[in-house]
Amino acid sequence: MTRWQRTAAFIATRFASVMLTIVGATLLLFLMVRLVPGDFASVMLGPRATPDLRAQIVHDMGLDRSLAEQLWLFVSHAATGNFGEDVVSHRPILDLVLEVIPNTLALAFSALALALVVGIPIGVIAALKPGSWLDSGLALLSISFITTPTLVVSVVLFLVFAIGLHWLPVAGAGNPGDIVDRLQHLVLPSVALALGWVGYISRLVRAALLDTLAELHVRTLRAYGVSEYRIVGLFALKLALVPVVSILGIGLGDLIGSSVVVEIIFARPGIGSLIFNSIAQRNYPVVQACVVFIVAFYILANLVVDMINALLDPRIAAGRG
Amino acid sequence: MAISLRNLSVDYSLPIGTAHALRDVSLDIQKGEMLGLVGESGSGKSTVAFALMGLLANNARVTSGTATIEGRRFDLTRPNATAPLRGRGMAMIFQDPMLSLNPVFTIGTQLIEVLRRRSPASDRKTRMAQAEDALAKVKLGNPKQRMEQYPHELSGGMRQRVVIAMALLSEPALLIADEPTTALDVTVEAQIMREIIGLRDRIGCAVLLITHSLGLVTEHCDRIAVLYAGERLESGSVRDVQRQPGHPYTRMLFDCEVPIDRERHADAAQNRFTVIAGELPDPRRRPPGCIFNGRCDVSFEDCAKVVPGDYPVAGNAAHAARCLRLVTP
Repeated sequence: MTRWQRTAAFIATRFASVMLTIVGATLLLFLMVRLVPGDFASVMLGPRATPDLRAQIVHDMGLDRSLAEQLWLFVSHAATGNFGEDVVSHRPILDLVLEVIPNTLALAFSALALALVVGIPIGVIAALKPGSWLDSGLALLSISFITTPTLVVSVVLFLVFAIGLHWLPVAGAGNPGDIVDRLQHLVLPSVALALGWVGYISRLVRAALLDTLAELHVRTLRAYGVSEYRIVGLFALKLALVPVVSILGIGLGDLIGSSVVVEIIFARPGIGSLIFNSIAQRNYPVVQACVVFIVAFYILANLVVDMINALLDPRIAAGRG
Repeated sequence: MAISLRNLSVDYSLPIGTAHALRDVSLDIQKGEMLGLVGESGSGKSTVAFALMGLLANNARVTSGTATIEGRRFDLTRPNATAPLRGRGMAMIFQDPMLSLNPVFTIGTQLIEVLRRRSPASDRKTRMAQAEDALAKVKLGNPKQRMEQYPHELSGGMRQRVVIAMALLSEPALLIADEPTTALDVTVEAQIMREIIGLRDRIGCAVLLITHSLGLVTEHCDRIAVLYAGERLESGSVRDVQRQPGHPYTRMLFDCEVPIDRERHADAAQNRFTVIAGELPDPRRRPPGCIFNGRCDVSFEDCAKVVPGDYPVAGNAAHAARCLRLVTP
């Protein structure tokens, strides 16, 4: 087999396992959502609930059928992209989700990009002179980034730059179609979301780089006079990024989780705020649909992570990694 | 132009104290000549190599030593003294070819990196051609295809050829080969040695071969230096030293070699190797007198008191050993 055939086989295997994981996760979530106490009818109708109204809503949501039946309906419909109609807005749930997903993806990816662009150089600089005052200073900075909760960062950024200085817009995701406006609305939420990850990534890059720099192939490059900057910034960095990228795949779940907080504080429409509101209402069908999308996103992101790693390290594609 | 190393001393600071790895070691290698530096594990052989390259571990300190390479003198006590020579005047081949290449870059990229340093002015295409040519010279088949391959796709012997190609591309005045065949198959050993000799003959450089194998030295080297516990006990042409070892340690080393025609017992467990009894002295505290005194079979009173100098063996100025027996009638 050529290298490309091996890589294609690797991706095909991974894709099959991704599909199985999505199905398994969906089943699990379906059952977990039912464990949340309270029900949609009582939350929705409040103290005025009459038995007739309740029965009507329970029937509309399909909650009067057996669990197995509900599960079958959900899975079979979801497989065709039909998540049913929302009882509150009377709109297809798929539309509700698809409407807000671009906002969340824009937020998550800009935060990730920011974290990489800032975090990797900080890690590299720290690894160039381990133990120096610069290294210690950057360690302190990174650790304070990691330990400050997203909630606190969001509120501080919000108060200082939006309310205090009026540099950036206060709330929302901006006017659809107005790119500049949308980007301006993206700045504070993505900085808030990225900050912890800047800290994580810089620490990870530093640790992985120092491990790599102790390997013997680095000595070979040094013996042949390759400059320390090229060794650290190119030859060792590529190898050191493999574990960092792996952890990023897992971190994307955390990023989506934290986006719930950020979206609520900055009143951004997004899948995080949609889930939050739907859970508050016990609106199971919407929660389920959102979670299916997040799981699918998370798993696809990890597939991409594996493919990036296979590109970074040819031994992974060859099955020796 | 001859390469010379004078009075190299290196200390390692360890948690248990300061270990003196090398004491006043001097070596000379003529252009086009191969010097075999032999000694048992822990004698400081590799420390000589890394001190010359300026690639010692962080806990090592060169306390004295100068090197003259291509007519320039380098004070080895200064950190990175020989850095300008790396990849230009000096090249090195390492002990473990499985680990000495970067696993995530192609062979081609790593060879071209050497050329970036050696000839900064040339363009990528020229460098590619030169790298391919070097792979062909070290007898690696399909050089064009090899350029695109990653180290894990090559065997240990092939990877060692890649490192030799790197050395070839850097056209050094001094090539240091630190146990280049120890990690390889015995059948590959001879081929790799042939490539190293081929490289020397092509470039006309001086070669420092670091090894614990006397067989390799007697077969391939012009001169030999014997290192024991950080001190050079003997040096001379391979022929002279083999014919008449000036130091008891050298003689005992040669006696340890198993002759191919030696009689064998039917029961393999009955076969006995010749060994040198005793252990290396404590590297933190040098015993007085001769460093080999504790293990020597011909020592006498003075050996415990007098530190021997380099005395000529059999009146030959090019063959010297540090043994009081040479000057005791």
